[in-house]
Amino acid sequence: MPFEPREIARLIADSMKRYGLPFPAPSDVAYSWAKGISLPSRGSPMLYTGALYQLAPYIVSIVDYTSLLEGSSLSSLGLKLSRHLPPSVLRIAVRPREEVRAYVERVLRSIVKLLERSGIRPAYAYEDDMYSGVLLYDLGLDELFAEQARKVFKALKARGAQEVIAVDPHTTHVLRSVYPKYVDGFDLSVRSYLEVISASAVGRGEVVVHDPCLYARFENVVEQPRKLLEGAGYKVLEPRRSRRMTYCCGGPIEGLAPKIAKKIARVRLSELSEKSSLIATMCPICYINLAEVASRERVEDIALLLAGEVK
Amino acid sequence: MRAFEEIEAALEDEEFQSALSKASLGTQAKVEEVLRSRPELLALAEEVREIKRAAIARLDELLEQAMNSLRAVRATPHLAETAEEAREIVGKLIGRGKLVVLSKSMAAAEVGLRPYLEAMGNEVWETDLGELLIQLEGTKPMHTITPAVHMSRRRAVELLEKAGAKVEGESIESAVRAAREFLRGKIVRAQAGITGANALAADTGAIVTVENESNVRLVSSLPPLHIALVPVDKVVPTLMDAIKVAMVQSAFAGLYPPTYINVISGPSSTADIERTRVYGAQGPVEQHVVFIDNGRTAARKGALAEQLYCIRCGRCQYECPVWIHTANRWGGPVYGGPMGLVWTAITYDANEAAKLSFLCLGCGRCDEACPVGIPLSRLIRELKAYAMRDLK
Repeated sequence: MPFEPREIARLIADSMKRYGLPFPAPSDVAYSWAKGISLPSRGSPMLYTGALYQLAPYIVSIVDYTSLLEGSSLSSLGLKLSRHLPPSVLRIAVRPREEVRAYVERVLRSIVKLLERSGIRPAYAYEDDMYSGVLLYDLGLDELFAEQARKVFKALKARGAQEVIAVDPHTTHVLRSVYPKYVDGFDLSVRSYLEVISASAVGRGEVVVHDPCLYARFENVVEQPRKLLEGAGYKVLEPRRSRRMTYCCGGPIEGLAPKIAKKIARVRLSELSEKSSLIATMCPICYINLAEVASRERVEDIALLLAGEVK
Repeated sequence: MRAFEEIEAALEDEEFQSALSKASLGTQAKVEEVLRSRPELLALAEEVREIKRAAIARLDELLEQAMNSLRAVRATPHLAETAEEAREIVGKLIGRGKLVVLSKSMAAAEVGLRPYLEAMGNEVWETDLGELLIQLEGTKPMHTITPAVHMSRRRAVELLEKAGAKVEGESIESAVRAAREFLRGKIVRAQAGITGANALAADTGAIVTVENESNVRLVSSLPPLHIALVPVDKVVPTLMDAIKVAMVQSAFAGLYPPTYINVISGPSSTADIERTRVYGAQGPVEQHVVFIDNGRTAARKGALAEQLYCIRCGRCQYECPVWIHTANRWGGPVYGGPMGLVWTAITYDANEAAKLSFLCLGCGRCDEACPVGIPLSRLIRELKAYAMRDLK
């Protein structure tokens, strides 16, 4: 591993304290995508992104950086550096990748379009669309996670949310299944946008679905995406390992062990592409991991496919 | 940390990667087929889940009952609190200068039995072919029930020849034949046979093992002394329960039907002359069961307690996207993969397991694969939280 998990955890904890985000990024990173879309800033249901899509372009850059260090003599140097490296320096080292930034912005705008098309006009908390803390939870930073969870809950409640519409599997999972264990009195009803929208015919052709682990195994969001894709006009194909036995994209360990993560992504990509060269993802982490190793295949977020926004 | 260097080397080893990929895809398909065609095995797994839950909840009582049952069938029970104690108990039973045969046992690996007995001046041989190859290679089992999963036939032949087995030709069949001849020579002369157990029944003291090679049968019946190593979590209330555990283990390992399920209750005996029972007929004269605690009863009260339901089928390993590239190089000095991380924490060192836990994706495929419903990804996340406990 190029970095010790505890070193990464320290950087993340530090960044959380300074920026409220796991990596240094501009303060409007979570809601800049929504500029020009006027949604009510209070009310229910509340669209809550938890900033995971928006952080994807930063994650790709950090992974590039750690991959460079992995297995090289720079590795130990990187480790030592990270101990003294203030997040502000990392901020300069880690620039978001522009094409990914533009892509996730299109995804989020498509999700709003899909909700509106389904007759749902959500509220959006703008500067209170805070990071959910998923990475803190995944890394075992329980106290920091609990603190963040309480902040998010308080902010959403203050804006009048009763129902929350999440946009990715990690955020859906922590809010729906983990927050209740960490936040006293948590009473928000949480659903993924894929559970509330309806389909309109906008596409055609074949698409293979890549179930994200958390939707498939922990949140039972399995049939909805298939029905939506079919309703949109696609013929849905199943990879060998799908639904509850879906296979991970490798994403969760990309920062700590990029070499293994890449191997896993390649295994998954190859079994997806056996069925179709068009691959539908439902999670920003899956998207960046599979897109990174794809060559002839096209990896597209399901929101763009459902909104008819694929280029 | 050496473990990470070993993982790194495994990632670069093409033979290792291709062997694992082939084995895991093959086993995934096999288990799926067994369970699809025999849905009653899924129902049996549910039953075993309940049996294990209930057994762990009253382990102290069952252990005491098991000890009494063993005495009743003229077997001798021992209880080892630690790995060191387990080694010493077995060492005293065997002594020095003996020929000892072992059937594959993760419990034996856990307590470091083979090197200990060798250091005492005994000649010790593994009789499971995969485990023999591991012994000859000087590594560790790469999977719970298929220890040499990472090895090519070329490597296997090379190792067998080095040990003195006469392999004629390059085929896998000839390697197996050579190993058979080689091991026969050891087993028939051995003064002691050591096996593990899939389960031990408290009501009868019966040890149940499941296997395909028939080496467990030979090791437990040809030598005059049989010693079984039984981690305390393997005690279940009844003999029927124990057989169910073996059936489910075999199904979820993709080896169904099992070629052999063995039941052993005490040493061999006969009452054919004047109806007088005499111990030591064709099988062992003496039988000992060494129960191994080594952190298990303490774990019952902690965050990792559910691991004690594990029946060691190794399905979580074959289904884990990380394990498929690392095998048991990832997980600790003995155990590996999802269940291995937690067993390492329980039986060896929580800090070591916690460091290694960060390679877990948290993808939950192991949770889905586990026949007894152990929430492995949640337990592994507990290990991560343990590693970070002082970070605020």
